[in-house]
Amino acid sequence: MLRKVAIVGQAQMNAADSGMSRERMLFELCKGFYDSMGITRHDIDTFVLCSNDFASGHTISNVFEDCPVGAYMKDETKVEADGVMAATYAMIRIMSGLYDTALVVGNSQGGSVMRPYLVMEYTLNQTYDRQLGLMNELSAAALQARAYMDEFGLTEEQLNKIAARNLRNAALNPFAFNGRADVTPEDVAASDLLYEPLRQLHCYPFTDGACVLLLASEEKAKELTDRPVWIKGVGDSLDTYYPERNAVRSKSVKLAGQRAYKMADVGDPANRIDVAEVSAKFAHQEPIICEGLGLFPEGSGGEVADRGLADLDGAMPICPSGGALGAYAFNAGGLVRLAECHRQLAGDAGDTQVVDARTALAHGQDGFCMQHNAVMIVSVEEG
Amino acid sequence: MEFKMGPETRQVQGTWDASTYKFRMDGTGVRLLTEGMKDKKIKGIRCSECGMVYVPGPTYCRKCFVDIDEVVELKDTGTVMSYTVEMADVRGNPRDEFLISAMIKLDGADSWFVSSVKGVDWQEFKVGMRVKAVWVDEPAGSLTDIDHFEVIPE
Amino acid sequence: MRNVAVIGVGYTPVFVSKRRDVNIVEMISESVDAAFQNTGLTPDDIDAVTFGNMQTFEGLNLPHLWASDHMRAIDKPIIRISTGGTTGMSVLQAAYYYVASGMYDVVMAVSWEKQSEGDSQVGLSGIVLPEAMTMVAHGMDLFTGKGIGFGGGGSTGAASYQAMSYLHHSGAEPEHIDKMAALERSNAALNPYAHLRKKTTVEDIQATPMVAFPLRFGHTCPTSDGATTCIVASQEMVDKLTDGNVAWITGVGSATSDPCTANFLEGQITDPAEQKPAKIASEKAYRMAGIENPGRELDMSEMYNGFAHQSLMWLEKLGVCREGEAHKMLDRGALDIGGEMPTNASGGVFSTNAIGTSAMNRPAECALQIMRKIEGEHQIPKKIKKALAHGWGGMFQYVTVMVLADEPG
Repeated sequence: MLRKVAIVGQAQMNAADSGMSRERMLFELCKGFYDSMGITRHDIDTFVLCSNDFASGHTISNVFEDCPVGAYMKDETKVEADGVMAATYAMIRIMSGLYDTALVVGNSQGGSVMRPYLVMEYTLNQTYDRQLGLMNELSAAALQARAYMDEFGLTEEQLNKIAARNLRNAALNPFAFNGRADVTPEDVAASDLLYEPLRQLHCYPFTDGACVLLLASEEKAKELTDRPVWIKGVGDSLDTYYPERNAVRSKSVKLAGQRAYKMADVGDPANRIDVAEVSAKFAHQEPIICEGLGLFPEGSGGEVADRGLADLDGAMPICPSGGALGAYAFNAGGLVRLAECHRQLAGDAGDTQVVDARTALAHGQDGFCMQHNAVMIVSVEEG
Repeated sequence: MEFKMGPETRQVQGTWDASTYKFRMDGTGVRLLTEGMKDKKIKGIRCSECGMVYVPGPTYCRKCFVDIDEVVELKDTGTVMSYTVEMADVRGNPRDEFLISAMIKLDGADSWFVSSVKGVDWQEFKVGMRVKAVWVDEPAGSLTDIDHFEVIPE
Repeated sequence: MRNVAVIGVGYTPVFVSKRRDVNIVEMISESVDAAFQNTGLTPDDIDAVTFGNMQTFEGLNLPHLWASDHMRAIDKPIIRISTGGTTGMSVLQAAYYYVASGMYDVVMAVSWEKQSEGDSQVGLSGIVLPEAMTMVAHGMDLFTGKGIGFGGGGSTGAASYQAMSYLHHSGAEPEHIDKMAALERSNAALNPYAHLRKKTTVEDIQATPMVAFPLRFGHTCPTSDGATTCIVASQEMVDKLTDGNVAWITGVGSATSDPCTANFLEGQITDPAEQKPAKIASEKAYRMAGIENPGRELDMSEMYNGFAHQSLMWLEKLGVCREGEAHKMLDRGALDIGGEMPTNASGGVFSTNAIGTSAMNRPAECALQIMRKIEGEHQIPKKIKKALAHGWGGMFQYVTVMVLADEPG
């Protein structure tokens, strides 16, 4: 029997430029979070940090992150992967029985300090891919977009609709900064062409972001909140590095989803999931991820866009927060998706609230064209 | 079962370019310190909850987890908490002049910093010795306004 | 909470300065294959992978992505943990939690470093590069030693301040550092997987130049290329997949202080020789393992000692002996392989330092000692029932501890 774990609170900040040092950004977010929850750093049994040496420009990026999050003289560790993995590891630490509370803190400053595309380039095989200089995150994503469009007939106009929908959602989300209230698919079509077919408004914005999640065991969760958001299932999977993998029918998305659904006892995702927050760093990745997760039929991206099935009031709301196009910081990205699921299930999602949301799915990715994917399913149903 | 290394592979050049980062640092504490040093004053920041005095300091106390901004002035005397004597360079070549580098806690402060100590035989130098700052003639608001420390004769 | 055991260890064939014959992912695959060979398992038996190293040393971000195929990790759940010097043990602890939680049954923990492919100075100075730049902007002089700030210590850096403070508080003499160095290098000479394997006397160590008193050239660890893989499993899987000769993980702990060296900008309030996290982490691990008197109940220890004084310091900070007692244990031969508390029979980090593996090699060696599967002449003669493994890192701030035993807790 696995020990039950819940998310009991969240806090996040995203900006084109935080105007602060990394340490100050973390201190202010965490202090505000502790105060809002009525707890102190001494209530945290373990800290799971989530950051990246190359993104922060610091070897051992957590050296100067420990004190600002409150981990001075405490148990801490650092996951160097997408935030959903950090949340998964925090959950696993609590499930071991050795901890009752875990604070997950992810951050990076891709808006003010570094260029995310360059940080991604450092993941390339140094002896060949990096030497060739042909691949970067954008060019690889563009190839993936073109592959999906060729395979399933998605048109540029439909791709633009996906982007526009996310950007309009983001405008209603106080935590996303890249939203535009009246943006139309035509506006997307008029934005700068970066790597054909990807345009500026198809892509995630450079973001200074930080996100905090507090996880707790069953007993602690019920003490800390009267609306715990239970973690029902997790799953992640790593695809091959090499380009022969199918980036359009993503095996790792599928396996990650299957593992999470199995643990959460979700047999029919399209019906059981009320809202999904996926980390689609580029607009075309949204249908790829959703289809891999079984939320929409394979290849239906165009139809979903035309019929508004992913809209806030659609059959399967996707990224009411605006998703990664609204704000996306390395490491914090997946945590923000989880934080948004928490807002939905706690009834805190304001103008982007999905009515009657009881079970939500959060997704995070790592690597070029989603080489690694992680899924977490959360619900207000204790079960 | 002796391991035999196989044939050598090719090597290619790579880089991690630190100049692509635009760091933003909290300079509040060090600015407070260096501005004070222009007037031969040493200023630190005190946490009003636990009384910890940082020289220089962050903008928050890591123990109490609160913002701190109480400025305190400290003397330029202190105690040696630890030290090392630099006798060789990074390659192991002996230095002409040995340099005593000490971790010093100023009187009234709780934090330590490093500075060199001159005018004393390294073999007589010990943890716990009392030292005093030696200022340059014309401080300019820089960390080198204190040139080094000297042992306070008993 | 389930019982978890280390069922096998796989090292690269050697740990050396430069593995010129393999690239990074090939080197990692050597240790993964060795682990499969030593346990008789196949990749299908592995439920999940934990992975880590100190990536700025090679300039390769998220290396598990490129290494996916070479690690046989395709289609597997995988997590990357990276915590500086403690990385190796943090990765193994993650594998422990993965199984202890009930989520997975058999987990592979992979750690590695290929420092010859990067610039270790760049990697290390990257810890505080922006901090140093800020201080230079405020007048700090990096070269002449004038002014106040951080620095000094030459190539040994902050470790020399730690060593001096340790000597002052413990009453140990600089000669004890020489003795510990000679002991560990001589142990390493018996270990085919160690990097520096020349039998070394105290005189040999004392012949090396004093770099930053009290630390000599001969007191510092090497930089190595190598990889280590450990496989951990639940009790049920131990019964199913092994002959029962395994090493149980009975205690885990980890803690951090603030950076206690080169922490000028934020104010260094901590003595680098205090190492309170060692106390916090070890007390937690001992409590879990049911150990009340570590000095008496432990049969061996593997300490993370980048510098030769540290083994002595850790014995005290981890509660194996009282403050001031470690050098006396050394003097009476208690730390020798044949002594009552054999310490770093493998030669320790002091003799082999592929940083990502350094903190994993400590519990790996403990496991091999318990299972009596040491390939080399440094197998401790007496039966090992309980072993202490220790990891250290960050800016002198992180400590991880693991207790391993021949029986589940």
